[in-house]
Amino acid sequence: MVRFQGVAMRYASGPEILHDISFNLEAGSYHFLTGASGAGKTSLLRLMYLANRATRGTVKVFGHDIGNTSRRALPALRRRIGVVFQEFRLLDHLSTRDNVALSLRIAGVKEDVIRAHVAELLSWVGLGDKLDSTPSTLSDGEKQRVAIARAVIGRPSLLIADEPTGSVDEAQGVRILRLFEELNRIGTTVVVATHDQRLLSKFNHRVLRLENGTLRIDGPAS
Amino acid sequence: MAARRYDLPFSEDGSGRFLPWMIALMVYLAALASVAALAAREVVEQWNAGLEGSATVEIAPSPDDATTEERVAQVLEIVRAARGVESAEAVPAGDINRLLAPWLGTEIGGLPLPRLVDVKFRSGQAVDLRALSGALTRVSGARLDDHSLWRERLRTLGRTVQVAAIIIVELIAIAAGATVVFATRSGLAVHRELIELMHLIGSRDSYIARQFQNHAMSLALRGGLLGIALAAVTLGVIAIISRPIGDALVPGVSIGAATLAALAALPLIAAGIATLTARVTVLRTLRQMP
Ligand SMILES: Nc1ncnc2c1ncn2[C@@H]1O[C@H](COP(=O)(O)OP(=O)(O)OP(=O)(O)O)[C@@H](O)[C@H]1O
Ligand SMILES: [Mg+2]
Repeated sequence: MVRFQGVAMRYASGPEILHDISFNLEAGSYHFLTGASGAGKTSLLRLMYLANRATRGTVKVFGHDIGNTSRRALPALRRRIGVVFQEFRLLDHLSTRDNVALSLRIAGVKEDVIRAHVAELLSWVGLGDKLDSTPSTLSDGEKQRVAIARAVIGRPSLLIADEPTGSVDEAQGVRILRLFEELNRIGTTVVVATHDQRLLSKFNHRVLRLENGTLRIDGPAS
Repeated sequence: MAARRYDLPFSEDGSGRFLPWMIALMVYLAALASVAALAAREVVEQWNAGLEGSATVEIAPSPDDATTEERVAQVLEIVRAARGVESAEAVPAGDINRLLAPWLGTEIGGLPLPRLVDVKFRSGQAVDLRALSGALTRVSGARLDDHSLWRERLRTLGRTVQVAAIIIVELIAIAAGATVVFATRSGLAVHRELIELMHLIGSRDSYIARQFQNHAMSLALRGGLLGIALAAVTLGVIAIISRPIGDALVPGVSIGAATLAALAALPLIAAGIATLTARVTVLRTLRQMP
């Protein structure tokens, strides 16, 4: 599903922040990605969700070597990836409903289909009464759930979540990760970045640990 | 279905505040330039038509009035016999004096003035002016003026006005395009983060370009309608002011249906230019993104 081989990365002409990263995520797996703040978790995920290209090495997603993939071919790959961004990245001028609908609109899904799916998913994440609210009127926890809804509405085969529990209390955080487990159970490959060791110790998934720009892979946390 | 808002927050980027006004100004100028050019062409054509069907024979005066009258009679005879001539009339000497009075005063009774013969040709019939001119050489001091010099000058004037108007309208179109490029580029910069987000959730460049082009089209259409409305008001006021002096100099310029249609199309043309320019600008810029 995702395969990194000898991957290095730098931003523009900055220092190299990831060196010689190699790992393989099988289809249907559930991984945590952890490491200190600034270790490079977001950067590694950006390579995975095709926001940046590796400076060196090979990144393969869905079997496509991203280094050799043309710009034109990226949108189709990106539509199979759901991303929960660390800073949510919701569109402040759009309602909750339209924020979630955006991924489907971009893919050209029909409006009546969008309408039904979005309402159903938003009530599933407990925001059924906030369909027409704009993000600025929501709590951080609610924004997070809108961001999650937008990431999963297109039934992605790869779900990448960057600190999806960053702004909610522990109980909420556990609920979100359980929700991802449900998606994982129906076949979604899941990668969750978190620096919260306590939270990931409650789960039994494999952990990718970033230290000094390189990767160590641990077995299940407990 | 209710009109959906744009995915990008264009209302926050200021483009809506200046682009319609710029387009309004440009459509206004283009409309006035077009009408001015069309009016000038019509006037030139009317003058030309007036000259085309006629000629003048000028008969130099001789010291003796009697021989002058005799030569006028000879000219009339020759001209009236020529093919294609509908009528030929000598301009009475008194009329010539009256025409010249403002310049020469009324005490010109004794001054020898040339006599004129107005010639009208039948419309739609070729006239052999060279033959007529040749025939007139039999009368001493008679010279045929078929106005060809003036008509040539009028044609040149008409063509110049038309080319100038086309250049002006083209320059305005280029300026409008440049304004849209500028507005679109700044919009792309302002919304850079959101554009990256849209790419990351799977948007194609064409989807993003569609947002910009629809926005540019609606702004240009709004500005264009305002510009054409202002132009209509301006032309109306000019028409009202110029009515009392109108017919003397300018033989009634009327705006035809074709002209009206062309003017009404200006806002649409502006919207078309804006749409296309925005699309091309966005696609070119995005192609350089990672
Ligand atoms: N757009 C960027 N341009 C240049 N440098 C960047 C950029 N984004 C991140 N960095 C740098 O890359 C390094 C890794 O950052 P990254 O955001 O990947 O860390 P992180 O593990 O996600 O941290 P956190 O836990 O705080 O989210 C940092 O030193 C950061 O300063
Ligand atoms: Mg991060």
